[in-house]
Amino acid sequence: MVKKWIEPRDIKSESDYEEEKRKFGMALGKPFITLILEIPTGFEEYNNEFINLEKDVDFHEEVNDLIKKRLLLESRRKKNL
Amino acid sequence: MDEIQIIFILVYVLTILLSATKIVQMSVAALIGALLTAWFGLLYGVFGYEQSLGFIDVQLIMLLLGVMIVVEVAERSGLFRFGALYAVKISGGNPKILFVSICVISAAVSVFLSDPTAMLLIAAAMATITKLLRYDPIPYFISAMIMINLGGTSTLIGSVSNMIIGLQAGISFTAFIGYLGVCEIILWGLTIAALYFLFRKRLGTKKELPKYNPWESVENKKLFYRSILILFLLIILFLTLENLGVGAEAVALGCAILALAISGSDPTDIFKKLDWETIFFIAGFMFIVGGLEKTGLLADISTQLFQTVGQGEFGASMTTLWFSGLASSTVSNIAIALTFSPIISGSAGIGTPAVWSALVLGTNLGGATTPLSGAVTMMGVGALKREGISLSFAEFTKVGVITSLIQLGFASFYLIIRFNLGV
Repeated sequence: MVKKWIEPRDIKSESDYEEEKRKFGMALGKPFITLILEIPTGFEEYNNEFINLEKDVDFHEEVNDLIKKRLLLESRRKKNL
Repeated sequence: MDEIQIIFILVYVLTILLSATKIVQMSVAALIGALLTAWFGLLYGVFGYEQSLGFIDVQLIMLLLGVMIVVEVAERSGLFRFGALYAVKISGGNPKILFVSICVISAAVSVFLSDPTAMLLIAAAMATITKLLRYDPIPYFISAMIMINLGGTSTLIGSVSNMIIGLQAGISFTAFIGYLGVCEIILWGLTIAALYFLFRKRLGTKKELPKYNPWESVENKKLFYRSILILFLLIILFLTLENLGVGAEAVALGCAILALAISGSDPTDIFKKLDWETIFFIAGFMFIVGGLEKTGLLADISTQLFQTVGQGEFGASMTTLWFSGLASSTVSNIAIALTFSPIISGSAGIGTPAVWSALVLGTNLGGATTPLSGAVTMMGVGALKREGISLSFAEFTKVGVITSLIQLGFASFYLIIRFNLGV
């Protein structure tokens, strides 16, 4: 019980906090986006593995690489126009 | 102590325990306590129904609502975000200057914003900037929490406990600054110096800041300038209050109406954002303290306490400062202010500016001793947790205890000099 009291609590108004961070990020030239991803249909038995992806550093890097590829493609497409 | 007084003490302790342990929300805890106070008070004939309606100080609630509305409109204009971005920019990427400017802006923002709102804003800024520059966020977060707590001490409207004490003691905005202004300036400097000394090796190395213009973060420049104007007007009116013949609550509400009229926002959105949790907590707790007062218990404590420490101003001031400082490190400082105010005003010869100043300093300065001391520290630790960083209870407390002791120690020295308290 006592341990529960001294554990850090989640910040109140999480959406306000994220929104404020987004505004700071935009102002500092480091914008970020928040995506809501659902577990793909047919993979329901991997619920836990899916949830763990949120904090998986390797997964974050893979997504980062994907974003870089996508942005490079976009830039090439613009140049060709 | 009679049976009725024991029942009322149990209700008081139950409320404190419920709110401190977060078994229920702080406001619900106070409202449960108020309900029990009403029940036992009416049952035992301690007070009548009509009499109990006077337990809630409507002036205080109006003052709080007025200030909250003005500040909410100013916050929407991006004024405080602009300040934080500017503070980062002037550092030029030098971690030492960044650290000092973050400390100063944290305290400055908290002069106007409520502690949780200030923490939300500064935590978002800290998380973004420390990630961007790859700095260890812990020194910056801990220092921001401590400085936000300190900033609230600075003016009559800086924290809820200041408003409670100010109204009860009849201290005006200008008198408040006159009693504590110099103390505050020195406390800011001392605390920043202590934090810098404690964290100097963890601040990181100089990095290049991205090029940005703080003005680009201001979405509505018209509202931005109008918000500055209203905050300025609020302060000017508070400063000249004595000549106006009205109370602080009238000025706050007047400025709130003006802010609502010019904000262009949906007032329903603004009302939703007000800190109703604090308002209901105060209303409930005022009722509990009102009930305790009627049992004669607070008058007894007042007499006993100040007989023990002596009738001298020195003993009364030091007891008030250190007792309220230590108590507010574990219990809500609003509860401490509401409990101590009637004790001090009920005691003949004790309600002097020195003792009231001691109460202001004590209730505020103890608020960042441990991660559980107040809303600001809980939120700061919560924000770090959300960023995936764990800050242990011991790591924060080590710094919190040192800064609280420095602040309370200096406050004792200041009170002795400022009010010429003979030892």
